[in-house]
Amino acid sequence: MVAAEAAGFIALGAGIAVGLTGLGAGIGEQSIGAAAIGAMAEDPKFFGKGLLMTVIPESIVIFGLVVALILLFVF
Amino acid sequence: MCGLFKTPAYAYITARVRARKRKLIPKETYPKLLNMQLPEIIRFIEESEYKKDVDELSAKFKSIDLLEHALGRSLGASYRKLMDISRGEVNYLITEYMRRWDVWNIKTVLRGKYYGASEEEILNCVVSAGELHYPELELMAKKESIGDVIASLEHTPYYPVLTKYEGGMLNKIEDELDSLSYTRLLDAVGGSPGEKFFLKFIQTEIDIKNLKMLFRLKKAGVEREYVQNILITGGLELKESDLTRLSGLSFSELVHSLDGYSYWRSISDVVSDQMTTLMDVDTKLDAHLMNYASQISHYYPLSILPVLDYVLSKKIEVDNLRVIARGKELKLADEIIRSHLVM
Repeated sequence: MVAAEAAGFIALGAGIAVGLTGLGAGIGEQSIGAAAIGAMAEDPKFFGKGLLMTVIPESIVIFGLVVALILLFVF
Repeated sequence: MCGLFKTPAYAYITARVRARKRKLIPKETYPKLLNMQLPEIIRFIEESEYKKDVDELSAKFKSIDLLEHALGRSLGASYRKLMDISRGEVNYLITEYMRRWDVWNIKTVLRGKYYGASEEEILNCVVSAGELHYPELELMAKKESIGDVIASLEHTPYYPVLTKYEGGMLNKIEDELDSLSYTRLLDAVGGSPGEKFFLKFIQTEIDIKNLKMLFRLKKAGVEREYVQNILITGGLELKESDLTRLSGLSFSELVHSLDGYSYWRSISDVVSDQMTTLMDVDTKLDAHLMNYASQISHYYPLSILPVLDYVLSKKIEVDNLRVIARGKELKLADEIIRSHLVM
């Protein structure tokens, strides 16, 4: 019973880790993406830089995913 | 939470205006242009961001006229583009700011009709940058009389002011139109940090407009009552009481009573009792406004302020190019042309 509860909390923690970091990345990306599109509309040469800037907040999701994987497979 | 959804709209438009501002002619280029002859200047402008406008108008106009029209058209097109690519709050603020061009166009058409100018002459002077699109302006220019022009503007916010026109000189309704555009703009500004600076900028702009008018009217020795009626209230430093006081002074007294205001630092080296031309004061005040807009645009990058900075910089670039081209055409000395450039 206790083991099942612990497994449930671990799963919940893993879900929160990925979910919240995903939301955070999304909030960050909305402005960066809009600005990148704006810059690209004026000068297509910004495509590479714009794409790079837009995916930078994605790194936080990777951290969330790592935390989730540790929770699921290490504990 | 609301600000969270506003941010991308500002991020998009500010990225675009910053990219556009980078394409403007840098101030280091103006001395080079001063060293060129008129045909070289025209070629330089033809090969710059104005190429499209110059190409399209080249069949209709030549030389300096082509340049004037291409610059005016480019200015209108850039401002209209800003309205087209923005939405929501930012679009509302830009539209309200651009109403000054509606006022400019209405005044141009009315003046044209008053002095019996041809339709083409009127259309050459309009800048289609506001809410009134070029086809509407064309229709207005086609009208027979001032009354018909006013009737065609029934659906606009300017109509209540225009109906006050009872014939004769247009200056009274022109002043009221100017006041209306500023009143509407001041009412449109909200309370976000960026908009607070925007409000401050508009108030500074009103102060500068009032100062220019005060210098002109006092130099011409115009009476206090007239001066007082023509000035626009709502400024930042020149409050209503200041305007009342300043409008009662002579030119010499006016010059000596401005040292308490922050604008004095910008104009002190060109202002004196014996000054013969007011052009230097205008240039210095415009430069003050441009620098102020550029400065505040960095305070809140995701706000209307970078848009404002671009709008002003573009207008000044067009004005500077006009000054250089016209100055060269009239064979003015480089020093005189340089003193009229806003940098």
